[in-house]
Amino acid sequence: MTTSALTSAIRRRRPKRQTGWRGLIYIAPAMALVTLFFVLPVLFTLWMSLHKWPLLGEPAWIGLRNYTRMFTDARFFNALGFTAHYTLIVTMAIFAVAFPLAIFVEKQRPLVSLYRTIVFLPVVVGLASASLLWVWLANVDSGLFAPLFDVLGLTSGRINLLAKFDTAFLTIIVMVVWKIAGFTMIILLTGLQAIPAELTEAARIDGAGRWQRFRHLTLPLMRRTMALALILSVTGSILAFDQFYIMTSGGPQNKMISVVYYIFNQSFVSFNLGYGAALSIALLLILVTLSVVQLWLLKVGDERP
Amino acid sequence: MRTRREIRARKALWDRIAYHGIGIGTAFFFLAPFAVSFLASFRPNSESGRPPLPPWPISGMSFDAYRALDSFGAGIWQHMFNSLLVSIGTVFLTVAVSVLAGYGFSRYRFPFKNALFVLIIATLMIPFQSILTPLFIILARLGLNNSLVGLMLVYVTLQLPFSVFMMRNAFDAVPKEIEEAARIDGARDLKLLVRVLLPLVMPGIATVSIFAFLNAWNEFFAALVLLSSNDNYTLPVLMTAVRAGRLGAINWGAVQAGVAVMVVPCLFVFLLLQRYYMRGLMAGAVK
Amino acid sequence: MFKKLMAATALISASMISAASAETISMWVRSGIGDSFKEVVKAYNAGHEHKVELTEVPFAELVQKYATAIAGGQAPDALSLDLIYTPAFAAAGQLEDLTDWAKALPYFNSLSPSHVKLGTYEDKIYGLPLTVETSIFAWNKDLYKKAGLDPEKAPKTWEEITANAEKIRALGGDTYGFYFSGGGCGGCMIFTFTPLTWGAGADILSADGKTATLDTPQMRKAVDIYRNMVEKDLVPAGAASDNGVNFLSFTNGKIGQQSLGAFAIGTLVTQHPEIDFGVTLIPGVDGKPSSFAGGDNFVVTKGTPKLEEVKEFLEYTYSPEGQKIMAKFGSLPTRGDIANEVLEGLDPRLKVGMEAIAVAQTPYTLQFNDLINSANGPWATFTNAAIYGDDVDGAFSNAQDEMQSIIDAGQ
Repeated sequence: MTTSALTSAIRRRRPKRQTGWRGLIYIAPAMALVTLFFVLPVLFTLWMSLHKWPLLGEPAWIGLRNYTRMFTDARFFNALGFTAHYTLIVTMAIFAVAFPLAIFVEKQRPLVSLYRTIVFLPVVVGLASASLLWVWLANVDSGLFAPLFDVLGLTSGRINLLAKFDTAFLTIIVMVVWKIAGFTMIILLTGLQAIPAELTEAARIDGAGRWQRFRHLTLPLMRRTMALALILSVTGSILAFDQFYIMTSGGPQNKMISVVYYIFNQSFVSFNLGYGAALSIALLLILVTLSVVQLWLLKVGDERP
Repeated sequence: MRTRREIRARKALWDRIAYHGIGIGTAFFFLAPFAVSFLASFRPNSESGRPPLPPWPISGMSFDAYRALDSFGAGIWQHMFNSLLVSIGTVFLTVAVSVLAGYGFSRYRFPFKNALFVLIIATLMIPFQSILTPLFIILARLGLNNSLVGLMLVYVTLQLPFSVFMMRNAFDAVPKEIEEAARIDGARDLKLLVRVLLPLVMPGIATVSIFAFLNAWNEFFAALVLLSSNDNYTLPVLMTAVRAGRLGAINWGAVQAGVAVMVVPCLFVFLLLQRYYMRGLMAGAVK
Repeated sequence: MFKKLMAATALISASMISAASAETISMWVRSGIGDSFKEVVKAYNAGHEHKVELTEVPFAELVQKYATAIAGGQAPDALSLDLIYTPAFAAAGQLEDLTDWAKALPYFNSLSPSHVKLGTYEDKIYGLPLTVETSIFAWNKDLYKKAGLDPEKAPKTWEEITANAEKIRALGGDTYGFYFSGGGCGGCMIFTFTPLTWGAGADILSADGKTATLDTPQMRKAVDIYRNMVEKDLVPAGAASDNGVNFLSFTNGKIGQQSLGAFAIGTLVTQHPEIDFGVTLIPGVDGKPSSFAGGDNFVVTKGTPKLEEVKEFLEYTYSPEGQKIMAKFGSLPTRGDIANEVLEGLDPRLKVGMEAIAVAQTPYTLQFNDLINSANGPWATFTNAAIYGDDVDGAFSNAQDEMQSIIDAGQ
């Protein structure tokens, strides 16, 4: 058989096996799971959001009232505000730590892969485990920080870090940076490594200083990667729940109620399932909007290579 | 006067010292919480309520904290078994389902292909906390409530977007020629997939497995809501009981021991399969 | 897994042979309920045909899980429900009406009145007392002695308590004069803090539960008493963020005085025999004592097929034998008529817990969870903000407004 005969034979067969329903059989198990445990629950959530739906007792149709209620719900706006605040601060903190780390571990040097691995370790641990670990470290009587600061003479007496908003917030930020920075570092690292070495070399020969190279070469070329890291961090922060639930129970004085926490409270503490569902849909819309922004950011990155 | 070479050597030395200084400082920050908690978990009862200064046991090593942990729920072995069962089950199911789907999406053309692919990926965008009540009701209708199998199915679904994406890319990377050659040799469909293609996408499978394992092992919220009897609790749910304390007093020793029990397998699996984990991350970042 | 499969098959085949064979009643209790009820179940299972299978659910998640389980049609047959939730669950139509059976019990009239009141909704009885808890005031006699105080003299006013706390704090180190879970633990604070105002005749809700009446002179005074102790460093720093997990800090032996639940008496006696303590009623801000009647009601899920078996088990719990086991492991008797007999030979301090029942109150509201118990509810927030915050007036007005709006939204 000649090569051309072979290819033509394949070409003739191709339409037969590539179109039609056979592929659907392969994706059927995945589709079944997604339909059953994702599509149906989402539709159900949408349906619930149009009802006054107590966890106990009969649901009653109330149309869009759950959605209009949102706009006069001060606690919901507080939760939105806090989530935005948290997202902003934690994202900046993560970048401030992860970017230098990425540059630090970029070049092949002795022990560099060891450092990379160590920085990455907290990422693979669950957020629940991490919160549990840090809530102990931050405990005023039995933990590490307060007694350590006291012994070192940084504070007079033991300070209860989790009792005041500012220190509790700081503790959580440090915990999340510890937990997530390795992840962002790796993402940024892929971007850094994708920059051709010749480019940097050429710029160096042209007499560009370190900062200039970073500002005018590295940063623009990192645009896409940074957009990705940014979006991952922002999305993750908007959905934050475990750390506030486990570490501060939303306190002190309810100042740490994130949006997901508020939805959880409405659905599983106050049993306003209908309202909780409406809030979920609102959160979903926020995330979809963000994804659109993400696509736009990535496109902007493409246009300016 | 120093020679140029001497200056350069000195500079290189200082550079190295600075480099490793920063490296060691960073490593300390990221390792210390684990080390402190791990060491502290071996302190005897009499010390477990005290600050970890120093973190290691002063009056001899002890397993008090682990014994205390064992006294919660149905005993630590049962809960470890539950967690392992769910995690390993999730790994196998996720691999099976995503290999099939990845192959289907990579090699076949069928109606609504792109829409269905986007639908699977879209699962990522929904905070699944918000659909937990309907999930619970659906599982109950299927007779899978309060069952580790039900929880497993939910975890598999949560894993699908990433896994299907990974596996589709893995199959895309396999040259069509290999497949054509095998086809001419008479291999068809499933046989072709299992005999010829599977070994070629093994790295992708390893990546999918490690992510599935870690996520299932660490997941807390769904397990909290979906499991309702002591015997079925996974480790993270058990830990809420430990954290809530007993008789109005929290046993920090048990908390440290619990953290150690939950963390060590993750670190172990990660260190063992680090290459594949990083591959998964990089693939996600580049695409 | 295998064991369970075997058990399931065994169960199915057994039920095919005879429908009247031994049944297993599934029952949920909140974790931390203590050993008393578990021991009763153990004794019951050892000597009876039917068995009770207990599932311990973390107390913070019990209500959510039960409600979700009902929604999924998978609820347990019976439940030990914090009595304050009984009205809400009964109102939602999820509980079995026990009126006729309960009223036929010969000792019905001697069951703890607060429990029966909370177990009643629209004149029908849905919940009956299972465990009784009252809040009491405890002091550490050893620390009293060390501080030069009379260890046998129970303090009668908060001025006295504060003065004693200062002397105990003066012992230095990590010895403190007073403790409370001040980190937004609504349940702890309604239990131990509101008696200060109840004793003086004020309440945080109107009698019909429809108006929030938080801002009273009595409550202001109670807040001042606690603020004062915090400012004077008489309370450990950890209290400010303790959301209830360290409620029994008294058991560490370094707390001079604390308002506790009567259940703590049993815990202290059995688990911490090294602590020598006295108990008395919690004084109100003007010295008149009060208490919170808490504990659990026994409720039955509507439509359970095992109603008769459940009743049989509850009757056992109420029998002198059952009551004795409960008391021995630290729970107060639920039956007043045999209380003396049951408590005989046990720690005399338990009697203070019984006395408290006479002066105790329990708020009746369908929204107890949203208003009081939720860690993010107005009451929990108020207690932390008013005692630890910088703006007391703001704490009062915020909480008052939020409570009223929650009540109104529920109408």
